[in-house]
Amino acid sequence: MTEYEAIIGLETHIQLNTTTKIFCSCRADSWNDLPNTNICPVCTGLPGVLPVLNRAAVEKAILLAAAMHAEVQPISYFDRKNYFYPDLPKGYQISQYNMPVARGGYLELTMPDDTTKKVNIQKLHLEEDAGKTKNDFGRRLIDFNRCGVPLVEMVTAPDLRSADEAAQYLTRLRQLLRWIGISEANMEKGHLRCDANVSIRPIGVDYLNPKTEIKNVNSIVAVRDAIQTEIIRQTREVQLGHKIEAWTLEWDEERNVLRKMRSKETEADYRYFREPDLLQLVIDEQWKTETLKQLPELPLERRSRFIHQYRVPEYDADILTGERSLSEYFEEAVVIYQGDPKRVSNWLMNDVMRLINELGIPAGELKLKPTYLVEIIKMVDDNIINNSIGKTLIEKVQDTGKAPSTIVSEEGLALVSDTRTIEDTCKTVIAQNPQPVSNYQKGKTGLIGWFVGQVMKQMGGKADPQLIRQILEELLKQ
Amino acid sequence: MELCDYPAYQLVGMIRRKQVSAVEVLESALKRIGEVDGCPGQLDGNNQIEPDKIHSFITLTPERARSQAQKVDHAIAAGEDPGGLAGVPFTTKDIYCVKDTLTTAGSRILSNFTSPYTATPIERIEAQGGVLLGKVNQDEFAYGSSSESSAFLPTPRNPWNTDCVPGGSSGGSTAAVAVGEGCFSIGTDTAGSIRQPAAFCGVIGVKPTYSRVSRYGLIAFGSSLDCPGPITRNVQDAALVLRIISGADPKDSTAANLSVPNYLSELQTPIRGMRIGLSPDYFKITYLDAQSGEIQQEDIPAIMKDAVYRAAGRLAEMGADIVEDVPMQQTRYGIPAYFVISRVEAASNLHRFDGVKYGYRTRQAVSDVHEMYRKSRAEGFGLQPKLRILMGMYVSAAQYSEQYYLRALRVRTLIRQDFNEIFDPKGKYRLKALLTPTTPTTAFRMGDIYGDSVLMQYADQLTVPANHAGIPGISIPAGFDLQGLPIGVQLLGNDFAESELLRIAYAYEKVTEEDEWRTRKPPILTK
Amino acid sequence: MTEPISPELFSHLVSLAALELSNQESEYLRQQLNNQLKAINELADIPLDPNIPPALHGIQYSPAFRPPIRGDFWQPSELADSILEQAPEVEERFIIVPDIPHQDLE
Repeated sequence: MTEYEAIIGLETHIQLNTTTKIFCSCRADSWNDLPNTNICPVCTGLPGVLPVLNRAAVEKAILLAAAMHAEVQPISYFDRKNYFYPDLPKGYQISQYNMPVARGGYLELTMPDDTTKKVNIQKLHLEEDAGKTKNDFGRRLIDFNRCGVPLVEMVTAPDLRSADEAAQYLTRLRQLLRWIGISEANMEKGHLRCDANVSIRPIGVDYLNPKTEIKNVNSIVAVRDAIQTEIIRQTREVQLGHKIEAWTLEWDEERNVLRKMRSKETEADYRYFREPDLLQLVIDEQWKTETLKQLPELPLERRSRFIHQYRVPEYDADILTGERSLSEYFEEAVVIYQGDPKRVSNWLMNDVMRLINELGIPAGELKLKPTYLVEIIKMVDDNIINNSIGKTLIEKVQDTGKAPSTIVSEEGLALVSDTRTIEDTCKTVIAQNPQPVSNYQKGKTGLIGWFVGQVMKQMGGKADPQLIRQILEELLKQ
Repeated sequence: MELCDYPAYQLVGMIRRKQVSAVEVLESALKRIGEVDGCPGQLDGNNQIEPDKIHSFITLTPERARSQAQKVDHAIAAGEDPGGLAGVPFTTKDIYCVKDTLTTAGSRILSNFTSPYTATPIERIEAQGGVLLGKVNQDEFAYGSSSESSAFLPTPRNPWNTDCVPGGSSGGSTAAVAVGEGCFSIGTDTAGSIRQPAAFCGVIGVKPTYSRVSRYGLIAFGSSLDCPGPITRNVQDAALVLRIISGADPKDSTAANLSVPNYLSELQTPIRGMRIGLSPDYFKITYLDAQSGEIQQEDIPAIMKDAVYRAAGRLAEMGADIVEDVPMQQTRYGIPAYFVISRVEAASNLHRFDGVKYGYRTRQAVSDVHEMYRKSRAEGFGLQPKLRILMGMYVSAAQYSEQYYLRALRVRTLIRQDFNEIFDPKGKYRLKALLTPTTPTTAFRMGDIYGDSVLMQYADQLTVPANHAGIPGISIPAGFDLQGLPIGVQLLGNDFAESELLRIAYAYEKVTEEDEWRTRKPPILTK
Repeated sequence: MTEPISPELFSHLVSLAALELSNQESEYLRQQLNNQLKAINELADIPLDPNIPPALHGIQYSPAFRPPIRGDFWQPSELADSILEQAPEVEERFIIVPDIPHQDLE
């Protein structure tokens, strides 16, 4: 039987996190606003209005282009894409057609076999978002709040080969968008949306079959499910001897089914032409350079720098550069600590990450500042506190915002370094437990841990377990 | 002479000096409207009624006007600056959005649209104390040269002969100004829609440089061609109003960020030594013969050509250098290029009228939103918009756009090059202005050309090159034909050379001040 | 000579334009279109040097007067309610339109 492979290209729409919309001064973000409250004559396409381009939208597009290794074009144009849809108030979308703001570029994915796959970007253009429509028993309800939110549309080459790869692309893209700070990239909130072009072909051939376009997919899981469903459907159709038609499909997330939308207008039917209401967009070197000063070191670069500069394992570097704020937190801590970066990494990955996940905030917003974390690590290093007190301190600092040293002295958490006190407690524990002592002395030396625990308990954890162990062993020999 | 017949620049002074009140001036204008205008245009109206009235208006706004006039009078009483157009009554073509006011663009599809905002040029006039009398009639969406395609009937008539059209598409504006229904009106010019009706009605019409005046709030026709501009009875008023409506606008990113000269004071600079050209290419029209399908060339009537030469002679008396035989060979391509560019833009600009969020929605039962679009648009648009939409669909479809749209944009460059050459200060001609007829003929009779879309467009042949090139043009009255209909001549200038054109126009106005034809009044005013 | 805009092409244009026309309107408009096309076809005969660029606007926007690009500052419009007042059908601030046709795939 013929084996098929999937050919997938993704069209992503990225909402830029500007303050205002792309062509008017309404707020860009209207999440949770009542319908049709964040609107003005311009974004609702009233007769006579004109678009006025937002500088920040251009700058964020420049940053994205640079992060995608795309080439920013010194001159680009806006065009009108004409079609009727009730969420598109002007009856055309202001977009960019054949002279987009940037061209080319790629995103690298790490494959399961540790090879790298380059997903090529065909073009990257600026455009305006449409409003929202929702079904209501045979009617549509229209909300224009979202009209005019700045979008970058980024189209990949048909380089992806499975639903999983598509999901991975989106995960990496989402990470990058947040990293460079141009989009919140929350798919559930529609900051990052994805249309998938899917076709299949027998393995080994190099032609492309007609593709379907799946629209309206709102999460990475849904993208994977929708593409997988469509690959299965196409394979079944082809095996039944049916032809695949270039349909536009809609993913119904609640019912996990694909729906066919009305036949799509062809490129020719959009009648693209230059938007006469906007001048050509000129991005000179100076503006570009100035903008790119805001571009941080990118995740992959930082990952490899961490490996080389701080000698952390690849696994650690992956996690530490999964999110920009965490990577900056790590680096700040390493610089203050001046000891083995791996030690900082361990604390971060075990304890601080748990805190971050529980609280759902970025590392940079923790009350446990890097300097506090380093203070804790150093106190453990110097045996002022033990490891487990260190761990509880992390939460106490986060709760109170107080410096670790303050908490240690206020609560008397410092380790008892006086061996006499420890010895006294050990003796008490031995005296109170004749049976375990006798068992130990008969050879059940594994009980030593239990004895240490008892002593720690009596001392409220404020002693070095190593030291207790030494003393206990000495005493029990007798 | 009634108060409403005074020039704006004089009224402002009289009102500021408290010789008259803004309210008195307003009442005079309203009285004039009552005498000569007849019923305003209305949906499903009758074009035959009151054939001897002007019918400029679609919407009168006397209450808004009264409160505006009172505000001016109060400001003056309180010793505050009432603005540079204090108490001057004016009208606006119904293509401009005015807050809380019906704004129809002459179309059924906007017959119920009340604008939530005001267009920049109108806002600037009102901020300077201008008193808006109301919104005047026009061709539907400005698609026409006679104002007869409005959905609001009766359509405006020519004040010099009410059997004739006032021209178009700003025909309501020019008719109103000619009979004293306001000192000035704001029109729009996409292919000649200010200059042609100004010529037909014997008034002054200014099409400024593209980008000189903000288009914000102007319901778009051909966005790369549309220019707002003033229509007045004298050059000084044109200078006064143009200065107020011009200049950068944060709401229009195609509006030039350029300081605006004081056109009024610059009028006084003499025109001695200015080089003014005449071109043989503006003394003929080229058109497609509907019968034979052949391209025909025909000289314009001698009386039109004579008017231009007569005007040139008078300007020469004032010291201008007249340069003859200036070649403008691309002139004839203006119309075919215009047919393409304006249709592509117009079709797209009309997409927004879909019955979803404002304007007309069909009352018929529909099965889905697409049917709602089709029925609303079919019922809401008249024939002219439908024709333009369909042509726009055709010539901008991808397989045709290379052949038509892109080619038309390149022809625009050619047309522009003609002007670059003659205005080049180091070139062969070094002109400050080109003097041409505004129109090939004087006003035609109602119903004569309406219906034949090709022929109607050729009426714009001498005006449309300025829209392609983006340069300024002014039409000024230059006499009458044997039927007593006004003849207009046109001055075309380089980018942002409005001041020079206005100076030439002013010099001409001065030198012909005593001419017999200057004393004529539209017969409707003497009845 | 055959007409470039046949009744079939014409009906495609009508559907792109979201219009529906009576037979009488269709015939008139199609004939007008074909007439205008004859005039437009004059463009094809104009000698055009390949170096002649298209002009999006007649004037050239020199940097000297090109307006600055808008800064990213919020200005509340306060016109939301009056915009909504213009809509033919509104319910709980949503604009209402008839359904968009679609079809489920099994």
